[in-house]
Parts: sequence; structure tokens; C-alpha cells
Amino acid sequence: MAEKDKIYKCLNPVGIQESVEQHPLSPRLDKLEGKNITLSIGAGGEQGILIPLRKMLPERYPQVNWNISFAAPHATKEGSIALTEEEAKTTDGLIRGVVW
Amino acid sequence: MPHLISIERAGIPSVFIIFEDQDECWKEACKLNGIAPMRRIWGSRHVPGPEDVDSWIDDLMDALVRPLTEEEKNPPPWKVSNERILFEGTLQEAHEFYQQSEKIPALMNAPICKYTDGLPIVVPTEELVEKMLKGTSHKPDEIITYQKDRKLGDRIQQMGSSGKAGDPVHFMPMKRTATVEKIATIGVMAGCKPEHMPLLLAIAESGGGCGDGRGGGAYVVSGPYAKEIEMNFDTNVLGPGNPANRSIGRAAELMWRNLGGNIPNVTNCGVWGSGLHNCFPENDDALPPGWATLREEYDFKKDESCVVTIQMGFSIRNTEFMPGGYRELQKSGHGGIARRLGVKGIPGPHNWMEYFIDHLWADGEGGKTFLMLPEMARDLQIYGFKSKDAVYEWLYDKSFMPLKDYRTHQSPDVWTNGWKAPEPRSGKNWLELPEDYMVPAVADPYQNCIIVTGGGEEMSLWTGGRGRESAYGIDVWR
Repeated sequence: MAEKDKIYKCLNPVGIQESVEQHPLSPRLDKLEGKNITLSIGAGGEQGILIPLRKMLPERYPQVNWNISFAAPHATKEGSIALTEEEAKTTDGLIRGVVW
Repeated sequence: MPHLISIERAGIPSVFIIFEDQDECWKEACKLNGIAPMRRIWGSRHVPGPEDVDSWIDDLMDALVRPLTEEEKNPPPWKVSNERILFEGTLQEAHEFYQQSEKIPALMNAPICKYTDGLPIVVPTEELVEKMLKGTSHKPDEIITYQKDRKLGDRIQQMGSSGKAGDPVHFMPMKRTATVEKIATIGVMAGCKPEHMPLLLAIAESGGGCGDGRGGGAYVVSGPYAKEIEMNFDTNVLGPGNPANRSIGRAAELMWRNLGGNIPNVTNCGVWGSGLHNCFPENDDALPPGWATLREEYDFKKDESCVVTIQMGFSIRNTEFMPGGYRELQKSGHGGIARRLGVKGIPGPHNWMEYFIDHLWADGEGGKTFLMLPEMARDLQIYGFKSKDAVYEWLYDKSFMPLKDYRTHQSPDVWTNGWKAPEPRSGKNWLELPEDYMVPAVADPYQNCIIVTGGGEEMSLWTGGRGRESAYGIDVWR
């Protein structure tokens, strides 16, 4: 067999990827009236969006019980926390922004 | 992302605000963390805030009540196969196989190579990989793990590059793991030699060119190993030509593609990408008296070798000394630099860093890493900096600016959380401090770093600062 026709086994450089079981989203709210919804404002930037949003949400959706919270500084673990354990006990729905 | 997903999985319906160009990355991150794509709306990068919010606020709220789709209720399973042998065929066929690309809709259908950096590679046949594995005593099926504790912080842990000794290294953005054989395979593809294996494995331990998923920077080798593998220490130290410097840097880039799974705008929401990963050595022999080697700064012994990761590729700047300008300053106090420093007619050595110090932090904070030519390091030493630490402390002292000026910087808006966090040195609220309160642009003198290397015309480079734990031992991977 000519060298050019020799068959080689060639190795896989791709890293080992674990399969991950996929879960559904949680069921949606049946209505907005009387629900406790947290607007979790991400750390720092995008105030151009978040300042009007936190003003407009309660104005436009007064039937919701709003909890507006602010994350800890960016680049900290706390900064990635959208709901504290206490907030999670009483929150029916979450809005988080802006997520980079 | 894992925290956000845990909320949704705990039964709290959620909706997020992102940007349209991040959508593919969002979906990939959800899949990687085991959940159907979480609901999101796209903010605008351009439209003024109130108008922007008005355009999607009702969609935002609707996402909390609109019934789930079938795919949201039953996301398709994600099964991955991890075959050891990727291809069988002739060398010609293998070349074509490894060079294949796929068109990426999120990149305006630009093709991206599935296994390479876009350039042809050496085909990783079993025979060549076996030969490459002779460069290390570690077994082919050994998982790449941290050789000592890496505690870079909780957030960093979820962004990669951190774990306890013995924990597997997860390559970002896809959080894959790798064996020693995978590193040898990539080494073959990049054109490396067996004697490069200890360094390749140390680079893999550092995260393998992946960084937090958006690509790493450069790798500086400190120690006798650099001479063993015949790295270039001199002129063109960042450029092409030397087999070790270039092929090892390329291997780091191939790790990002293959181990990290980098696909721009699909798995990685970066911006410019990271330029060619460089690997170059520190020049021990050229260090001025009293100046520590890089490895000693990281508590390695002088006869040991390590690789230090530095941020490079986004912001390399240089001292912009035109031919002769630096020499005129130091030899006889002539020229514009001498006029700025107020040493006209006075022979040097002078502290040439004074030339740019006033605007070193004009548009960004943090430490700086200097790639410093031997001659320029020597001049600083003779001028009076008897150690690297003395330079670091001088830079720190010079980085102080009044709060009034510091407040005109952009990034503190984010990391101070809109100036609501306490100022670290005083513990007081930022907004309570007087305008003339002095703030350092560098949090710690030792975020600065000096690497003496290179040769040629008198010009130094600088880029972003270093991390405390960014050195990785090479000898443990021999």
C-alpha cells in the first residue's frame, strides 16, 4: 500500500462534555393581580434601562405587589444573586435585568 | 447563571432582560445548566431608556403569565458522545476533515472551523500523539486537575480558573474537562514538540487559553525551562519564527476552541476575540541586580519554572519613543522627554516612566503589566529602583487621584454598584466622601507587574495587570 493510502486513526481534541439533563421552565403565573414580583436590578450599569423600568412597572402594573431590589457590586458572588433566600420565600415571579 | 436557573427550577417563573446579540449565548448557557431556554426580552443598545422600556414592558410582563410552549415544558435531551478516535482515513482526508468549518448564522454566516484556529494543523494521528506523550510522565487518561488550591473568589469559580487541588479544570465557556492525551493531541495539531508537554499541561491547568470563556491572553515562562525548549528571549519576542514561542501560543488558542468550545456569538459573547495567544519567556539573565524573577514573585524557587498568565490582546500600549528619543533622554537629557521631565541637559538615567505616568490611568483603572526591555529596566535600577517592588509601590503612589476625577471613570460605576458600595480604604459610602478625597487607581501595588524580556529599539509595552494566583508550576507536569 502506498504511503498516501495508509489509513490513520486520528484523535479527538474536543474536551469531555458531560450530558446534562434538561429541565422545563416553571409554570407561569395564572394572573398578575396580587402577585409578589421582584424586579432585581443587576449591579451597576444599564441605568438607562433600569431607572425608567423601575419607575414604569409600578405605574403600569399597580395590581402587582412590587419588590424592587438591587444587587451587590459586579464581579462578586453576591452581585450574581437575584433573590435572597428570604425574598425567594415570598416572590411569585422574578424580573432580572440587565443580564450581561 | 447557575443561581438564576436555580430560581426558575425552584418554581419561580422568571424573565430576563438581555440584548439580541446575546441570545444564542443565552440559549447555550441555559442548555449547559440544564434548563429550557429561559424567557427573556431584548433591550436596545441604542434607543433612549424610557422609549426603549416602553416598547417591551408589556412583553416583559406577558412572559410571566403566557403559558409555556411544548418545548419549554419538554426541552429536548442533550446527549453528548466523547469518542477518543475522531477520524480514520488517509492523511489527505484527515487534513480536510480537521479543517472543516460550519457557517454560523449569528456571525452573518461566516464559517468557523470546528477543530482549528482557521489554519491547517498537523494531523493528530495516534502515532504522533503517542510520541508527544513521551514529553511527560503523566498518564494519557489522567484528567487535568489543579495542582494546588486556586481560590480566586466565588464568582471566578463559576467563571472557570478556580478550584481546590485535585479538582478537574473546567474549560470555559462549555465547562468541558480534558485528559493529558487531549493536551498532547492539541499539541500535535499546533506543531509542538514532546518537550513542550510540561508547559502545555501547565497552560491547560491555567484554563487553557479560555479565560472565562472569552479567551485568555499571553503566557510568560519564567525559569530554566524556557532555555530547555529554546524559546526566543530577544528581539521579536512576540513575533513569529521561533517554534516554541509560536506553537505553544497556538496550542493555547486551539485549547480555547476544542476544550472550551468557543464559537463566537454562540457559546461566547465576547467582542473582539483575543488576538493570537503569545507565549514568551522572561529573560533572567537581563534582570537588573536586586530585581526578582517573575517566579520568585509568585513564591517559586529560582531553579523552578512556572508559567504566568497575563491579560494581553485587548490593550497593548507602548512608550511611543521614536528612534533616538529615549537614548537622547538618558545619554544627555536632550529632546521632548527631557523637557517634560524637567531634566534638560542633565545626563541620565532618568525615570522614563514619568513621561506617561500622568495619563496611565486616564481611561481605566487597575494594575499594569510592563514588558520591559533589559536596557530600560537597567536604567530604572540605576535611577534608584533597587527592586521591582519599589517600582510597583511608586506606580501605586502615582495612581492616586481626587475623587472628583475618579468619579469621571466608567468602570467604577459598575463595581461600586452605582457608588452605593463602601469605599474600600475608608469604609465610608462613596457619596459621603469629599471631592478631594484621594483614590488609588490601583487597588494593590502588586497588581502591577514587570517582565524583563525582548530586545531591540528602546520601547516598552504595557497591558492589563496581573492576578495574585496567575502562576502555574511547569515542573509538576514533567
